[in-house]
Amino acid sequence: MPSSQLGFRKGTIVRNEGHGSIFYRMEVDLPEPVRFVPGQFAMVSGWPGSDPLLPRPFAIFRSGSNAGRHSVEFVYKVVGRGTALLSGLHDGDPVSLTLPLGRGFDLSGEGRTYWLVGGGVGFSTLFPAVDALAHRKAAGFELFLGGRTRDQLPPREWTPGGQAPGRFHLCTDDGTAGFHGTLVDALRERMKGVPAADLARITILACGPHPMLKGLAGLAAGAGVAMQASLENHMACGFGVCWGCVTAIRDGEATAYRRVCKEGPVFDAKEVVW
Amino acid sequence: MTAISLPDLSVNLGGGLSIKNPVMTASGTFGYGLEFSPFYDISRLGCLIVKGLSREPVLGNPPQRIVETASGMLNAIGLQNIGVERFVRDVVPRLEDAGATFAANIYGKTPEDYEAVAARLSEVDALAAIEVNASCPNVKEGGIAFGSSPEGIARLTERVRRATRKPLWVKLSPNVTDVGAIAKAAEEAGADAVTLINTLVGLAVDHRSRRPKLANVTGGLSGPAIKPVALRMVWEVCRKVKIPVIGIGGIQSAEDALEFLLVGASAVQIGTANFRNPRVAAEVVEGIEAFLRTEKIASVAEYRGTLRLP
Ligand SMILES: Cc1cc2nc3c(=O)[nH]c(=O)nc-3n(C[C@H](O)[C@H](O)[C@H](O)COP(=O)(O)OP(=O)(O)OC[C@H]3O[C@@H](n4cnc5c(N)ncnc54)[C@H](O)[C@@H]3O)c2cc1C
Ligand SMILES: Cc1cc2nc3c(=O)[nH]c(=O)nc-3n(C[C@H](O)[C@H](O)[C@H](O)COP(=O)(O)O)c2cc1C
Ligand code: FES
Repeated sequence: MPSSQLGFRKGTIVRNEGHGSIFYRMEVDLPEPVRFVPGQFAMVSGWPGSDPLLPRPFAIFRSGSNAGRHSVEFVYKVVGRGTALLSGLHDGDPVSLTLPLGRGFDLSGEGRTYWLVGGGVGFSTLFPAVDALAHRKAAGFELFLGGRTRDQLPPREWTPGGQAPGRFHLCTDDGTAGFHGTLVDALRERMKGVPAADLARITILACGPHPMLKGLAGLAAGAGVAMQASLENHMACGFGVCWGCVTAIRDGEATAYRRVCKEGPVFDAKEVVW
Repeated sequence: MTAISLPDLSVNLGGGLSIKNPVMTASGTFGYGLEFSPFYDISRLGCLIVKGLSREPVLGNPPQRIVETASGMLNAIGLQNIGVERFVRDVVPRLEDAGATFAANIYGKTPEDYEAVAARLSEVDALAAIEVNASCPNVKEGGIAFGSSPEGIARLTERVRRATRKPLWVKLSPNVTDVGAIAKAAEEAGADAVTLINTLVGLAVDHRSRRPKLANVTGGLSGPAIKPVALRMVWEVCRKVKIPVIGIGGIQSAEDALEFLLVGASAVQIGTANFRNPRVAAEVVEGIEAFLRTEKIASVAEYRGTLRLP
């Protein structure tokens, strides 16, 4: 099926809007439909010239087809030059995309409960997983979203699955919304009193800043909870040829370097050398 | 109906090797080649050069391995690779199936390592050429240690020459004062062609954390930022040696590639641009053909080295 095949595509921006104080959402029209697994990403570039030179990786937030039109969406936070330039693009501007890339979340576990944990803009990787789980009535899930402050939480209208059977938890470092503390604290609280047999049926899916992932990985390992972590690293190609994006992974007694863009970005948290 | 004669894109690279067009992809930026099959038919390339191969698999340097700079990037991959045996066993048959013309880039810590890898690769009939990386700035031993003096390059080239009858290309470093003398030494020691340039040693630091951005501290600079340096060095070497020169450095378009041919390169390699646009090498082949056709130039050979100096 051509739609889910890796390719280099030229698209046109049909929407690129800021939401809240920090998040942008970009929708790109493409000649072909895009199919992806939650957790997969795209390499995106749209600015003219060669500075910045390299495309930037973003999780695929949504894709869809309507009346013969196909589109894909990304959510991004402006952190540096590339994202600042992207935020200045307008409807009708061309963008280049290489997609779909990487290995996404494994949601195939039968009878498992998923705890999805998104720190900062990490929610953009997790919301497609929420959608996928909400469509699978058999799987239970809970969603934990964290930000430094209230306005760093995702806009409410983006939160997926209105009728989804999952539970939602918010938390902020400064206590301006939801639980006062980090996501690691929130998860530690949530685990209290849960019998070991139930914990063994839970899989954490997480995306966010490295210290959060590291903290969660320690917590999960101690509690016997499985965890899949979506990692971020600087990338040049995004499709496995430059070996620039590697992360250290346990390989028996030794350490091996695996490509975040190809063998990841989602890794079993137990295998990662944090 | 008038017959339209297509320009002849083929080029002769010496050592009995002729390739269908002058566009190649640079080692370390094209994986093992097959990764690009989803983007275009890799048999359309004049030649693809696989990632640097060593005798044994290499783990490479710790991350952070890459950092972007103005119109360029620094890398300190450290030649992570699967080793020559796995390449011959697992990759070669698939490249053959894909109908690709391919060459291997090789690297070792000692001259014996280079010799052993070259000897093993000589047994691979389908392999078009061996490119000796005497210029990697990211490894402590080998690489640039051999490539920074005419004597060093001569000794290494002679050694590998004795180990193989395949077309032998020696890839030179720009991190030297007299690249012409080094190219000449490679030619005299039996190289069939020279390839240049490899990356320029660079440094990127973070003024807040006061740390280098790469774990290896320094890295190799590539991309459009290095094109003027590469073009100058290729021009200089073309005037010094009689063997073919393969030009690399910051090529992103057919125009860039034509500039290298203009100063005398027989062929070009495209590196970092593959990361930005995985289809770029195929687009450059088409662009060169279109240019020659529009300008009514019969062949790449006719255009090559026709720079008009003041
Ligand atoms: C698989 C993957 C999926 C991602 N998905 C999203 C997403 O959906 N939405 C989103 O907003 N961001 C996402 N990111 C992060 C995003 O790629 C970076 O924020 C972006 O590349 C920064 O580009 P810039 O030019 O604005 O910043 P730069 O000017 O390049 O750098 C600004 C700062 O960001 C850091 N940085 C740059 N690139 C990365 C990177 N790849 N990973 C971690 N830190 C980086 C730099 O160290 C620097 O501190 C993802 C990253 C990966 C690897
Ligand atoms: C990520 C990366 C890895 C590289 N690995 C190799 C290598 O294994 N062997 C080699 O001879 N050159 C290697 N190079 C150098 C390139 O082949 C090329 O000489 C250089 O990047 C300049 O060309 P460019 O500006 O088109 O990228 C590497 C370059 C990059 C960016
Ligand atoms: S970004 Fe190039 S190998 Fe991962």
